[in-house]
Amino acid sequence: MTNAEPVARPVDAEAIVAEILKLGITHVICVPDTFQKTLIARLAELEVPRTLIVCTEDEAMGINAGLYIGGQNPMMLIQNNGIHASINTMKAIALDAKVPTFIVAGQFLRDATKPPEEQRARAVRLLEPTLEVWGVPYFRLEGPEDIGAFAQAYHRAHEDKGPAVVIVGTPTS
Amino acid sequence: MERQEAIDVLARSREGVVSVVTMQSVAPWHDAGQGEIDHIDATQCMGSASSIALGIALARPDRKVMVLDGDGSLLMQLGSLVTIAGAAPANLYHFVFANGLHQSTGNQPLPAQGVLDWCAMASAAGYRKAVRIEEAEDLIEQLPGIWATDGPVLVELVIAREEGEPRWAGVPMAGQVVALKERLAAG
Repeated sequence: MTNAEPVARPVDAEAIVAEILKLGITHVICVPDTFQKTLIARLAELEVPRTLIVCTEDEAMGINAGLYIGGQNPMMLIQNNGIHASINTMKAIALDAKVPTFIVAGQFLRDATKPPEEQRARAVRLLEPTLEVWGVPYFRLEGPEDIGAFAQAYHRAHEDKGPAVVIVGTPTS
Repeated sequence: MERQEAIDVLARSREGVVSVVTMQSVAPWHDAGQGEIDHIDATQCMGSASSIALGIALARPDRKVMVLDGDGSLLMQLGSLVTIAGAAPANLYHFVFANGLHQSTGNQPLPAQGVLDWCAMASAAGYRKAVRIEEAEDLIEQLPGIWATDGPVLVELVIAREEGEPRWAGVPMAGQVVALKERLAAG
């Protein structure tokens, strides 16, 4: 039991949905994530954006590219381990082929009482350094005051024509 | 059949179908004059061709989309069979060039070479139709019926082993993304 104050605080799924709707997202390509299960449940109730549950993050990046090429406005909803798992596809499609790839990734196993760089879980601790190595911009969602991270990452992905990530630091409420 | 025979038959029957092509079918597809219009190569992304095609098919249900995949490539993202079946795009036609080899890296055998059954896998995943074709004449005969069938359809094209160095088209994918996006936006 710890009495440490949380560094990251939950963000209401409804507030995130409102941001996604404001951005005109047409499709949410999702490999389910524990940290975002309330968000996924809320999105599943909506006709637009359409939620597509897929098998892997590699697939998600390909589908994202195809939807973008076809004139849609997709995003990805995955978890930190999924970014680690799909780096080569991100390299080929989002970076080399210059496809805007707006990713929202849950920091699964993040200890909310510590900043990311002090995390025991390697997948959490190394997510931001990994993104930095590949030159992928990221924006932390550490609490309700960070809700603007969604618009920032979305616009960065489209301006740069590449990947940009919102890192969800604690489970959505 | 030879890969080039299958490519030539598919090129002749394409008629405006959007194409997504990967690995050792890329250069022959370009040689057949199919790489300029309504087309994208899936390069360096290890099995993503079918997923890119799925995205285009979902975005543009008014356009038929064909993917020229490799058996080794599809194994790298095998779950895409299930994802495609789940999304059930009626306009997606998935041609798998099956030689049982990783040709691009030197013809190493695939796992389960000679055992794996692509049509059974696609059907079990939920594709609407799956057919295995071994001869170019049969492909010519069956293609009209394939195009007339709602997808997702998987066509296993049994092709011969090829020797020699792998060929690469060398066309940057980034330019193709822009060109295809603009083409699709225009109609």
